[in-house]
Amino acid sequence: MTLTSLGFVAFALVVALLSNASRSVEWRSWVLLAANGAFIVSYVDRPLHLLPLAAFLLLCFSSIELVRRRPSTAALWVALTSILASFVLLKKFSFLSDAWLLPFPYLLMGLSYVLFRALHLLIDARQGELKEPVSPRDFFNYTCNFLTFTAGPIQRFEAYRAQRQQPLVLDEPRVFQAFSRIVLGFLKVAAVSAVFDNLFQTVSGRLLEAHAAAAFSAPAFALAFVAAAVCYTVYLYYNFSGYVDIVVGVGWLCGQDLPENFNQPFLARSFLDFWSRWHMTLSDWFKTYVFNPLLKVLAARFRSAKAGPYLAVAAFFVTFTIMGVWHGTTSVFVIYGLILGAGASVNKLWQVLAVQRLGKKRYKALAETAPAIYVSRGLTLAYFALALTCLWVDLAQLFAIFGRLGVLGTAACYFGLALGAAGAFFVWDSLSGRFARLQLGEHAAFRGVAARNLGLALQILLIATVASFFHKAPEFVYRAF
Amino acid sequence: MKLIAVQVARLLGALVAVYAVLLLVCLVLVPLGSGGPRLDTARAGNTLFITEPKYAFMTRSQLDTTTDKVILLGASNVLVGLRQDQIQPRVPQLEVHSLAVSGSNITQVGQVVDLVHEVQSPAARKHTTYVIGLWYGLFADDSARWHTPDRVAGDTDIDIERYRYGFYRRTPEGPVPLLPPRYLQAGTVLVHPYLVLDRATRDATKSMRSFISGKSAATTDEERNAIVLTKAQQDQYLSFWHDYMGSTDELKEAQFQTLRRVVDGILVEGGEVVLVDLPLPAWHSQRSPLWRSYASHMEPTLAALQTRPGVVVVRMGADNRDDDFGDEVHPKPRVAPLWAARLAKTLNAEGDARQANLARDSASGLHVE
Repeated sequence: MTLTSLGFVAFALVVALLSNASRSVEWRSWVLLAANGAFIVSYVDRPLHLLPLAAFLLLCFSSIELVRRRPSTAALWVALTSILASFVLLKKFSFLSDAWLLPFPYLLMGLSYVLFRALHLLIDARQGELKEPVSPRDFFNYTCNFLTFTAGPIQRFEAYRAQRQQPLVLDEPRVFQAFSRIVLGFLKVAAVSAVFDNLFQTVSGRLLEAHAAAAFSAPAFALAFVAAAVCYTVYLYYNFSGYVDIVVGVGWLCGQDLPENFNQPFLARSFLDFWSRWHMTLSDWFKTYVFNPLLKVLAARFRSAKAGPYLAVAAFFVTFTIMGVWHGTTSVFVIYGLILGAGASVNKLWQVLAVQRLGKKRYKALAETAPAIYVSRGLTLAYFALALTCLWVDLAQLFAIFGRLGVLGTAACYFGLALGAAGAFFVWDSLSGRFARLQLGEHAAFRGVAARNLGLALQILLIATVASFFHKAPEFVYRAF
Repeated sequence: MKLIAVQVARLLGALVAVYAVLLLVCLVLVPLGSGGPRLDTARAGNTLFITEPKYAFMTRSQLDTTTDKVILLGASNVLVGLRQDQIQPRVPQLEVHSLAVSGSNITQVGQVVDLVHEVQSPAARKHTTYVIGLWYGLFADDSARWHTPDRVAGDTDIDIERYRYGFYRRTPEGPVPLLPPRYLQAGTVLVHPYLVLDRATRDATKSMRSFISGKSAATTDEERNAIVLTKAQQDQYLSFWHDYMGSTDELKEAQFQTLRRVVDGILVEGGEVVLVDLPLPAWHSQRSPLWRSYASHMEPTLAALQTRPGVVVVRMGADNRDDDFGDEVHPKPRVAPLWAARLAKTLNAEGDARQANLARDSASGLHVE
């Protein structure tokens, strides 16, 4: 059941109606359990294909309970090692020999996000923050929630548990708000991201096809590469944030207040700022469970006050490298991780050195000037867009592209894209500022029930129109990670 | 629960209202799509349907008549070499339609026959002769031809049209009509706004799409008549077809069995079939292992099929020069009338034979319509 299918819409509607059929929190929990089971089963043809996921869940559940009952560092490491080893095995990392892999197809989807939630529970159990035991039903509903199973957002267990105990109360504005959010999500995924995916496929197809690529002159090749990188970035953003809109909207109807995953990432003025706005729950997870403990360990090892800022540089490098590697199981994702790690650490180093040289006040004043803001935003987007190349090529293609561009060509692509993006952001902000001043949404004519529903209907027709242009519904891109 | 149900009802109501207004506006501003008096997929680009598969899918209802008609089927070499507008004047006693679709393989040709049968009455099917243009590209394996990243794996171009506006639904067994074929014309009216928007969007973005995809502008007939291929271009074409056919030098027997099934399906409904073995430039056929594989499969297939009543085989391989082709497979515009004349000769001869048979049967009281 793909999230962009009419089947999912009908399924979500039935789950929402059933969730609201009784005010009992127990009833809602059982409905969620049934929905999660049905959702996962819809992805497999045979029960055997579910077995590895079931075994992985069982391992995680028993490990968490064991560590909760006997919270020791040794127990934590044993549990961590066995969970991570099982994960690597089940995800079929490319460095594993075929002899290690299970000899039958099985459901891989959702495994990464189950892992994040399980590790969160495990570490919290070790730290004594998990006072009460987690029931099997709660564990399954939390780790395999049909709304967040595919690709998050990664909700914290405390938030899940608090919501689970609250009766579901909906009112008319909330219901309309949920519908609007869902429609907006579909508009992003099925229309905007589909258009940019189509553009990306066309351009990247020519870049990656040897005959077509050879026909490009050097500047045309660079231009095509930048165009492909931008189209992929826009596609990825609208695809993923649209997915989040859909699941958050459905969650509201089912009594779940899921965390947001995006906060206008293209407003980010630095790479680190970007990651506090993009895939926020993943960034938070890595901050809590990798960056902070690592910084603590480094700080304990290097006690000099002067070393402090540089320890953060190192910790950022390691954290972002791991986060990049997490995206895939092949060697190109190691490069992606290193690029992210380099981006984060250079960004931090720049902040440290700039503050040292200019002083905090002058640096802050300089960073707040309009040219600095737009150039920073452009540089940030350009770095991220070029780094994302690793997600749409294999290692040989990556070397072929950057080999052809060379150092100068790559630099020209980066700075050219940064300047272009800075200009585009400036124009966009100016136009959207003028549009916002019209305050159309506040006008009484647009606020009635009929007008608001007509607006939604128009959006749905737009989705159907764009969908009719393409040969298949766009896949949800993050399900692959 | 009630709040959600009320919101769903409101939204559905709003959808119906907005769509009704849109449909009305489109019907007033833009005439309904039509295939013209004779269907010709080569003209698809000038209609509201834009593409050949959509044109074939949407316009076929008008084939449900008991007039004797010929339907041309095949890939782009049929569109270019056996042109509806050049064949029709040569066989005035017949209606000539072309439902050839570029890039077709025999599976898709079979689907077009199924689409025609869907809208035709049993009587209309008996008055239909299918002309199928054959060459090795038509026997591309489905896994090579229809498993591309831009589509759901295995969907042909015709399947895409079946699903596009929800006229069919996808099932594990294949497409199943949601809209009964007899309501196809009503369905075409209902999706009129989408056809208009698709046409408008494609027209508005034509230059941009050509620029992005790197496709050059269409060449004129004069330019195509003057083309002389270099050795490097010939090599490139051979390499292209090797890749296109699934990086193989051998065709699979299964696709030739599909041809036999398609012919059987037509004959069992009382229709007739003309199988046209289309020529290739000598440099292509002589250097292509795929052509040799095709020839070795095709000889016994055609030999078996042409013994069946209602099947005629036309071999157009002779009397062609390399200079007659504008590329590796398509004849130059100046050659198309010659191909049309060759096919028309067969159609006229078959028509005469059929009339004679009917007259004889009628005289002896055997013919029953």
